[in-house]
Amino acid sequence: MIPLTWDIVARGLGEIGRLLGIVAVIVVVLEALAYLILHRLLKYKYSLPFMLLLPALVGVMALIIYPFGFNIYLAFSNMNMFRFKDFSVGLSYGITNFLDVFRLPVLQKVTFFQLLGRTILWTVVNVVCHVLGGLGLAILLNRPMRGKGVYRTLLVVPWALPQVISALAWRGEFHFQYGFVNLMLERLGLRPVPWLSDPRWAFVAVVLVNVWLGIPFMMVVLLGGLQSISQEYYDAAQIDGASGWQQFRSITMPLLKPVLTPAVILGVVWTFNNFNVIYLVTRGGPMEGTDLLVTSMFKAVFEFYRYGFGAAYAMVIFVFLFIFSAVYLRLSGGFKGAWES
Amino acid sequence: MARVYLEHVTKKFGNVVAVNDATLEIKDKEFLILVGPSGCGKSTTLRMVAGLEEVTEGNIYIGDTIVNDIPPKDRDIAMVFQNYALYPHMDVYNNMAFGLKLRKFPRAEIDKRVKEAAAILGIENLLKRKPKELSGGQRQRVALGRAIVREPKVFLMDEPLSNLDAKLRVQMRAELAKLHNRLQTTIIYVTHDQTEAMTMGDRIVVMKDGFIQQVGAPMEIYDHPDNVFVAGFIGSPAMNFLDAVILREDGDLWVDAKSFRVKLPLTRFETVGEYIDKEVIFGIRPEDIDDKDFVPNAPPDRIVTADIDVTEPMGSEVYLYATVGPHSFIARVDARTTARDGSSHQLVFNTDKAHLFDKKTQKAIR
Repeated sequence: MIPLTWDIVARGLGEIGRLLGIVAVIVVVLEALAYLILHRLLKYKYSLPFMLLLPALVGVMALIIYPFGFNIYLAFSNMNMFRFKDFSVGLSYGITNFLDVFRLPVLQKVTFFQLLGRTILWTVVNVVCHVLGGLGLAILLNRPMRGKGVYRTLLVVPWALPQVISALAWRGEFHFQYGFVNLMLERLGLRPVPWLSDPRWAFVAVVLVNVWLGIPFMMVVLLGGLQSISQEYYDAAQIDGASGWQQFRSITMPLLKPVLTPAVILGVVWTFNNFNVIYLVTRGGPMEGTDLLVTSMFKAVFEFYRYGFGAAYAMVIFVFLFIFSAVYLRLSGGFKGAWES
Repeated sequence: MARVYLEHVTKKFGNVVAVNDATLEIKDKEFLILVGPSGCGKSTTLRMVAGLEEVTEGNIYIGDTIVNDIPPKDRDIAMVFQNYALYPHMDVYNNMAFGLKLRKFPRAEIDKRVKEAAAILGIENLLKRKPKELSGGQRQRVALGRAIVREPKVFLMDEPLSNLDAKLRVQMRAELAKLHNRLQTTIIYVTHDQTEAMTMGDRIVVMKDGFIQQVGAPMEIYDHPDNVFVAGFIGSPAMNFLDAVILREDGDLWVDAKSFRVKLPLTRFETVGEYIDKEVIFGIRPEDIDDKDFVPNAPPDRIVTADIDVTEPMGSEVYLYATVGPHSFIARVDARTTARDGSSHQLVFNTDKAHLFDKKTQKAIR
């Protein structure tokens, strides 16, 4: 390994500075153009809003649109380890790449449809546990009680820790011989579980970790939603004769929907795309048994060096998520509030 | 239809006593108003009857049953809330039907009752709408409708008109009174507005700082307030209070406010005996101070010359903001008065209607 010297640091910072300088120049030039064309030439009513939006637009272009476009370009190429610089682009390469996603093992043995099924199972189990756990805790925290602030703080800790750290910590705790989980199981008189060496148990382990990580976010969001529901509705429902469960079903759930819907969509997208937990706890192993779509895509690109194929694979995953979000938004009334008809 | 009885009811929130030893009987079919400034305990009292707050001490009866430990849904009451508390995700029909559905009423019966109530309130054309598509007055009617369909023993209303504009409030006041005649149910109505209290109730309960100050028919309370607080709270503009001394001279009784004195009727002799030569609070309502020009044969010993600071013409009458020495007071006089801002004018104190209060206890001297 090359030792990190001041020279390298300086060169790195210089490169970053140059890049930022280029971005700044682009923004200034675009602003000037917008001013001249929209304001001076066309005398457009909304020229100021457009000028104010421009810097953000440049950011979106640089960070989302350009990489997205470049990904499509790569998907139609045969770029891989052997053709890194002299790759060629063409429709036939693209078709081959997209067909390969479905007909060949994505990695060594696991296929796309296995991964898709596993990812859907992973997403459903996780999001259901996040919502149920988060809702339960939010309801408990929404009651008047002593030491509420302390509980709330403690419950948010998994979310506040960097995911890398908690995931690596969990990896240690699932160690067969020395991990906390097995030690506790043995204390309880149970047999130790081969958490990281059996594919099924490994899947259970990553689900447990991700549930633990994801509950606080749901809890915080739903607690906010619960607190915005006026006590008067519950008073009125009590007098109307609603039991606790009926109040929950007829008042809490419908009034929580405007908060719950976006949270579930975000939760599904994040969980579907989750990379950290899988990669850090099990690396997708053992025997590709815990790989999801996203981790296998990463491996296909950066461990198997199949760039063109990986880009096509990424497009396929994107299409799935896009369809899900669109359908869910349409079906659930999406981001509409409870107050809207 | 039932009587409600509060027996030495106390409610504490931690160390704060919200309602202090309240004993009160609300008769069957009575329209009773709980009135007082904010924080006086009137809403807490209502919420205890509803079962939304627990009673700290004492008993609440609805009919002949003690309801202290009976949950709201089994008390056979309905409540109208200040902000209406209409369920935002249900349309008007379902808002009104919700309580009946939970009570497993047959569908046809629910439909019949909702439609009847909607007809009474004139909201038949709104049944499909969501609360946010309604105006304040319409929401108010739906909230009433939700209570009516239940046909409860007792209606509880917590400042139901306070979110309406002035004109609508006057209209709904009359409609509520009409509704009471029609439904013939017990209504307990909380308000901070003394006009609502005066105009709507069979009886009024005036509360302050958790204590019941006085209970009585509106005019009884208006004409014979028990203490300075009730006297000042009921009536608009409020009663004038002046520090004065009671004097006895040549067999006559006088109220001496230092800068002026007026004669009291001799009938007061019996009651003021022990207060002669002592300081009292002299209370007189604005309408009991008249412009001398419109009182033929005004006795000279009741006439006071006052400086008029401001005149407020109300159309049918004029309010005069007057000063005599250190005392300021309001007079409600005939609209034709010639009094002008900054002028001096002769006013007549109708001392037959004067109120006298003990300076220490603030209680009425009777």
